[in-house]
Amino acid sequence: MHKLLAIDRRIIFALVFISVAGPLLAGISLPITPTDEVKAAYDQFEKLDAGDIVLVSFSYGASTQPEMLPMSRAILHHAFRRDLKVVAICLWPEAPGLAQQVLEEMAAEFDLEYGVDYAFMGYKPGNFSVILNMGQDFHSAFPQDQWGAATGDLDLTRSLRSLRDFALVLDLAAGDSIEFWWIPYGQEKYGFTFVAGCTAVMAPDLYPFLDSGQLGGLLGGLAGAAEYETLIDRRGSASTGMSAQSMAHLVITLFVIIGNIAYFAARRTSSEQRS
Amino acid sequence: MRDTYVFLGLILLFAAVNIGLVASGILVADWTGLGIIVAAGMTLALYSFLYKDNPIFKFAEHVFVGVAAAYVFGQNWYPTLYGEIIAEWTDPGEGETPNWWLLAPTVLGLLMLTRFSLRFGWLSRYAFAFFVGLAAGWTIPRYISSFILAQIEPTLQPLTGSGSLEGLNLLIVLVGVIGVLVYFFFSVEHTGAAGHVSKVGIWFLMISFGASFGYTIMARVSLLIGRVTFLLDDWLHLM
Repeated sequence: MHKLLAIDRRIIFALVFISVAGPLLAGISLPITPTDEVKAAYDQFEKLDAGDIVLVSFSYGASTQPEMLPMSRAILHHAFRRDLKVVAICLWPEAPGLAQQVLEEMAAEFDLEYGVDYAFMGYKPGNFSVILNMGQDFHSAFPQDQWGAATGDLDLTRSLRSLRDFALVLDLAAGDSIEFWWIPYGQEKYGFTFVAGCTAVMAPDLYPFLDSGQLGGLLGGLAGAAEYETLIDRRGSASTGMSAQSMAHLVITLFVIIGNIAYFAARRTSSEQRS
Repeated sequence: MRDTYVFLGLILLFAAVNIGLVASGILVADWTGLGIIVAAGMTLALYSFLYKDNPIFKFAEHVFVGVAAAYVFGQNWYPTLYGEIIAEWTDPGEGETPNWWLLAPTVLGLLMLTRFSLRFGWLSRYAFAFFVGLAAGWTIPRYISSFILAQIEPTLQPLTGSGSLEGLNLLIVLVGVIGVLVYFFFSVEHTGAAGHVSKVGIWFLMISFGASFGYTIMARVSLLIGRVTFLLDDWLHLM
């Protein structure tokens, strides 16, 4: 038992790697059942009419891309499929390159026109003060788009004055922007419908905001993205990754159980030897 | 010495695999192909830390920090500091006058940098005083509204749905909130009734920590899945 407790951690790493790589290589597919909070997010988009403008805020960086990119892709696909207009902004300095990539990918898929069907305003520093600024005057917060075109010259953004002009606001976040920027300074102040997508680490902290109605829906991590892919009936990288996720969880759970059994057995042996 | 040979062997293996991939046409010998090879190399270099700390990991770590810092600087400099401040004064556009109001926040921002000087460091206090006052004025009412008032409301819902799942949820939330509040109430000794209620609070806290830890594991495994997918699919084309 003592040997089991002193197992080389590299063996555990290797087993976790195999548990992830195995299902990916074998192409195993497991059923995915959407949860209520992801369904709520989906329903918020379903309620919108064609032509409604959605603000999508990208607040994540490369380190969380495996969780956030499938989520961004699935939601943008859903929005464009429903003929919604998307205005994208970034409140994280690392986000513009990632946001531009997924926006252009989705725009190409639906053959959308820039400035008419979607617009990308780029990054603005200032955290919550940018949100307050957008609430007062959108053009003042973002006087030009990512490529220097005046906000007033783009068909899509010309008439936007405040956050109230958006039918829905979505924040895709890997930090504290949902909880500490958008809810207090945006949703509470301007009363728009607010939906969020976040990393799995953040998700437990955000559930109280679903109960209070401050969040209209929530996608948590790769599982949230996979559930959204199921709802829009478009299997993507999140759904593919869920079999690996389940297998890795199984291996980790087994190690937790084995570790506990070994720990208690070793403690019992030690106490018996002492007595 | 054995580890040195292991790492040298892995570098040679990585080079051989890439030569094979390019030679067989799986990876195209262009900028995209080079990008994939570099990304695969950096991923493997960073994961090599799982075996043990080594110079390849250190190199990749320093490259990442440098690139990330430069990228963040670029994102702040070009669109904002240059685009919306310096260009406003030096190139205001035809028929427009420079916006000199921007001098006020710019000077306040520059005053913050005087912290680095022993002689002029006191000047930064004006900038910090302005910022702290402004942020407190913004934050206090917003936080009271969003985190206290808005959160109290769903917590104090009447248990109307008793017997239903919703009623049970409300009851659990109520018991949890009271238990945790009593646990963090240190003016009363946690004995007797207060002790029992605070124990309930501890149980709720433990379950909450467990849920957070579970989600954290899920997040970390997701990141691993992302990198493994990249290595198996984009780099090796095995998927």
